[in-house]
Amino acid sequence: MFALIVKRILLAIPVLLVVASLTFVLVRIVPGGPFDADKNLPPEIIANLNAKYHLDKPVPEQYLLYLGRLAQGDLGVSYKYVNRTVNDILADAFPVSLQLGTISLTLAVLIGVPLGAIAAVCRGRKEDVIAMFLSTLGISVPGFVIGATLIFVFAIKLRVLPVGLWESPWHVVLPAVTLAFSPAAYLARLTRASVLEIVEKDWVRTARSKGLSQWNTVLKHILRNSLIPVVTVLGPLTAIVITGSFVVEYIYAIPGMGRFFITAVMNRDYDLILGTTLVFAVLLIIANTFVDLAYQFLDPRMRIED
Amino acid sequence: MRNIGDHRFLISEFAKRLGHCFLAVLLLISVLSLSACIRPRSRFEPGVLRVNLGTEPPGLDWHTATDSTSFDVVSNLMVGLTQYTNKLTCAPSCAKNWEVLDGGKRYLFHLRDDLRWTDGKPLTAYDFEYAWKRLLNPVTAAQYAFFLYDVVGAREYNTGKLKSAETLGIKALDAHTFEIRLRKPATYFIYLTAFCVSFPMRKDVVEKWGDRWTEPEHFVTNGPFKLTKWQHEYKMELAANEGYFDSVPQVKLIKMFMVPEASTAFALYENDELDFIDNRSFATPDVERYRNSPEYKNFPLLRANYLAFNVTKKPFTDVRIRKAVAMAIDRSIFPRILRRGERPATSWIPPALPGYSPDSGLKFDPVAARALLAEAGYPGGKGLPKPELLYPNRDDVRLTVEATQDQLKRNLGMEIELVNQEWKVYLATVRKDAPPMFRNSWGADFPDPETFMNLFTKDCGNNDTKWSDPRYDALIEAAQGELNAAKRADLYRQADVMLCREAVPIVPTFLATQNIMVKPWVTGIAINPLDLQFFKDVVVDDSQNSQTKYGAR
Amino acid sequence: MEIVEKAKMPVVAPLDQSVMARIRRIPTAYIALWVIALICVVALLSFMGFSLCQYSFDQTSSDFLAGPSGQHWMGTDELGRDLFSRIVYGARLSIAIGLTTAAVAFVIGTLYGALSGYLGGKVDTFMMRGVDIAYSLPDLLVMILIGVLLGRGTIGILIALGLVSWMGTARLVRAQFLQLKNEEFIEAARAQGQSGWNIVFKHLLPNALGPIIVALTFTVPSAILSESTLSFIGLGLSPPACSWGTLASDGWRSLRAHPHLIFFPSLFIFITVLSFNFLGDGLRDALDPRTRLGKKSR
Repeated sequence: MFALIVKRILLAIPVLLVVASLTFVLVRIVPGGPFDADKNLPPEIIANLNAKYHLDKPVPEQYLLYLGRLAQGDLGVSYKYVNRTVNDILADAFPVSLQLGTISLTLAVLIGVPLGAIAAVCRGRKEDVIAMFLSTLGISVPGFVIGATLIFVFAIKLRVLPVGLWESPWHVVLPAVTLAFSPAAYLARLTRASVLEIVEKDWVRTARSKGLSQWNTVLKHILRNSLIPVVTVLGPLTAIVITGSFVVEYIYAIPGMGRFFITAVMNRDYDLILGTTLVFAVLLIIANTFVDLAYQFLDPRMRIED
Repeated sequence: MRNIGDHRFLISEFAKRLGHCFLAVLLLISVLSLSACIRPRSRFEPGVLRVNLGTEPPGLDWHTATDSTSFDVVSNLMVGLTQYTNKLTCAPSCAKNWEVLDGGKRYLFHLRDDLRWTDGKPLTAYDFEYAWKRLLNPVTAAQYAFFLYDVVGAREYNTGKLKSAETLGIKALDAHTFEIRLRKPATYFIYLTAFCVSFPMRKDVVEKWGDRWTEPEHFVTNGPFKLTKWQHEYKMELAANEGYFDSVPQVKLIKMFMVPEASTAFALYENDELDFIDNRSFATPDVERYRNSPEYKNFPLLRANYLAFNVTKKPFTDVRIRKAVAMAIDRSIFPRILRRGERPATSWIPPALPGYSPDSGLKFDPVAARALLAEAGYPGGKGLPKPELLYPNRDDVRLTVEATQDQLKRNLGMEIELVNQEWKVYLATVRKDAPPMFRNSWGADFPDPETFMNLFTKDCGNNDTKWSDPRYDALIEAAQGELNAAKRADLYRQADVMLCREAVPIVPTFLATQNIMVKPWVTGIAINPLDLQFFKDVVVDDSQNSQTKYGAR
Repeated sequence: MEIVEKAKMPVVAPLDQSVMARIRRIPTAYIALWVIALICVVALLSFMGFSLCQYSFDQTSSDFLAGPSGQHWMGTDELGRDLFSRIVYGARLSIAIGLTTAAVAFVIGTLYGALSGYLGGKVDTFMMRGVDIAYSLPDLLVMILIGVLLGRGTIGILIALGLVSWMGTARLVRAQFLQLKNEEFIEAARAQGQSGWNIVFKHLLPNALGPIIVALTFTVPSAILSESTLSFIGLGLSPPACSWGTLASDGWRSLRAHPHLIFFPSLFIFITVLSFNFLGDGLRDALDPRTRLGKKSR
């Protein structure tokens, strides 16, 4: 297992390098520099500002400077927030996004998996139809529409939950539910498909005929094996949660990384864009590595022989 | 043969258990929600004001800040030599009085004796001298340095032609006397001393902490409030400054949130989570619903929206076509679609300022417009190339330009193409090589026609229309130095006529308004046409409505 | 929808008439097919210039923000334009965006996956690393960067959407090719001396077409949803072009005062995306010989 982790880390480095370079190129090609502000800017002042941030050097040189800084863990300086480093900004924003993302993913699993399983065992009956309709709803409607509806119903009409901001634990509820909608829907569909497959297999009957009349044991078998596909998709699920967080953080005014990313893009804040992109890429790589590791424990072949 | 019975039993057991699991989760969620219903929630906290800044101020150093969000915060944290009153006159602040000498070329400010910074140290004229010199220092790279270019030696120093700051016309004669020498008399100069960029600064603090000197733990200010907390991209907290030399504010704490999405902010206000909101928190449809509410107020701003031409690009090289466009747009459409009480405008100087005249510009006259277009060689709009109208990416701007496009098509037969870019890219494009038409807006920096009119002089860096006329420049130059108020107003009026009636490099469209909503327990919100938000006179108290309510509303 | 594909790769079955018969047996997929056909027909008619309602999509009036009525079936927007006509116009844009993205994903993904799967070995590993890298970036992030780079225009959006959608198809095609290239009929073809290109295009590709089409059916709704999210952030199409995504995100701000502005476009997005998803599900079941479609599953 240790070998696997090391191998993954080694593989991750070139991936991150490519990601950083690609984003660097994309961002630099984009028109509009960070100092095109709204008031009078005599050209001498623009020159001063550009020199201060090394923007007057040729792009390849800027690239090398950037890589050098990255190797030291320095993600650079923000142009918009003139007295803060990208490391500082992300250090503040990351825990917020992490809280929101983790709670959403947990909610998604808690809601999606049982929903899918029920749909599977009641296949063809009305529970199945309702569950599948709900889950398809979750992936067929844009995130901001879901958010708008939830805010409208719970915050404005019923007034039981706050509209936005991040002041108290109650403020987590609506954003987390909005963010959990899509992954829950995916999980429901996936769980249904895989439970269907398992339940119709012969070995379930075999296990029961072997004297496992304790339905708990059988439940363990079914669940564990149908959880395997769920774990395998944790990688893409993390991706969904990350991209969903852009919209959710914006709607609910939550100071997370998604919001910083969007404002950074609008402001052409190069280093902040690169910093957030790298953090997201690292998160995804970690999620995928976790999936590989978890797969070791949940390998179906090991379980069937039980 | 399979034993179907076994299978079914397993499945039904499984279903039951899962069903239970699922119901348990649902029950948990409902219980949590219900308990939220009965949690006690008060509508406000006495002495605490909650507002929305909209976005994070890029920085609080008033030498490097350029946007209204930063200025809104700084103008509550700091005061300068003078201060704006709500009627936009300059009242003494740090300076108890001043003398205007040498025909307007020399100003002598006498400071008060009791000025202190938030860390207790006395505030002296040397702090002003340091601050003004730092603003002009090319190393600071202050984007607003041009503001003080009237001062002797300022432009040369800032552009690097003058190496030493010694010969600048900025001098602290002693701890309480501050002298300024100008290149030529400028009647509007006193207004500049009320503006954020001319506030004093502490040399030791700035030099010690460098870029981080505005963080709450290091920040030193002299105004009615001080910065106590700053959670980036989320909120700032300002506490009343007990050592303020004027009356200490009654509101003890201001929470400034940063909610970028207007509808969220508005919903927060409706939910009693914000006490005061302004344009930043209004989506267009919201105004409709609250127009008749006692909490709503609407007042005009000194901010003008206009359509600009790049007069070097066809077809707008021909002044007749520009005039035709000006006469083909019915300005009354804008208040109808934007719904915020905008004031239609046909001339550049706003009604509140001297030099204004309702006849300075071209009125809506589609018949004359069509005639002019025909005269220019494009009867009915035939053969006219389809020019591009560039605009920045914002909801209300989008509505404005779509309405303009529709008006031109309908009244003139002229088709235009709408192109939009994001704010930064838009500014860059307009500055480098402005397209044939672009939509722009300009807010006054101080309450004087000068701030509007010098925009179109030859030297002005913001003049993207590429239009200039030496007669216009001469009028403005004369008006800048003219000490007689009536003569000065007339000079500006003549320039306005030249701008909006004869040469028409721009088509003014409307004057923006500020829309605010204030909760009944808040009084003392300052409103003025410069859109400056001062909170020092605000009172948040519980005399009227009940303070706490239990139960769901 | 990549997730569901990863978990359950369908076994190949040839495309023939029995597929249509199988689809007929899945009611949801069958209805979905008809709904999609209807929407495409409307979009096509609109494109060819037939006006399906009395107003033009960019015709303003002074009847601002009206609710649904006899005159305006779905109400009007802030400039008095009829919402129904704008939705009809938007149909062509949204469908075009969806189909074009699928086409781009098809071309790029198939070529990439075919190459990788057919050549195998080191090349395959290397190319799959490329896919891994592409997967390491959240797709909205890439779309935002590309959208900003290319500016707000239809081409820019299409390129951005296409560039994030090809990976799933590539993986699928590669898996199919890896599986198929060791089959007997391929051996036979090689023994006959057929060239690589021939084998790929005449034998491998047609057999892999089934799952590819299923994957593409899921790309379309994903593209439509991504486009609406891009519009919401402010990177969508410029006015007066209006796709459903643009309409929905414009209407977001008026949710409380004028819900019809967001309700109707969202409804159409929902119906279309739902239909494509059901169709994809149905196609997958129809093409998979393992599922027991002949028997009643009650």
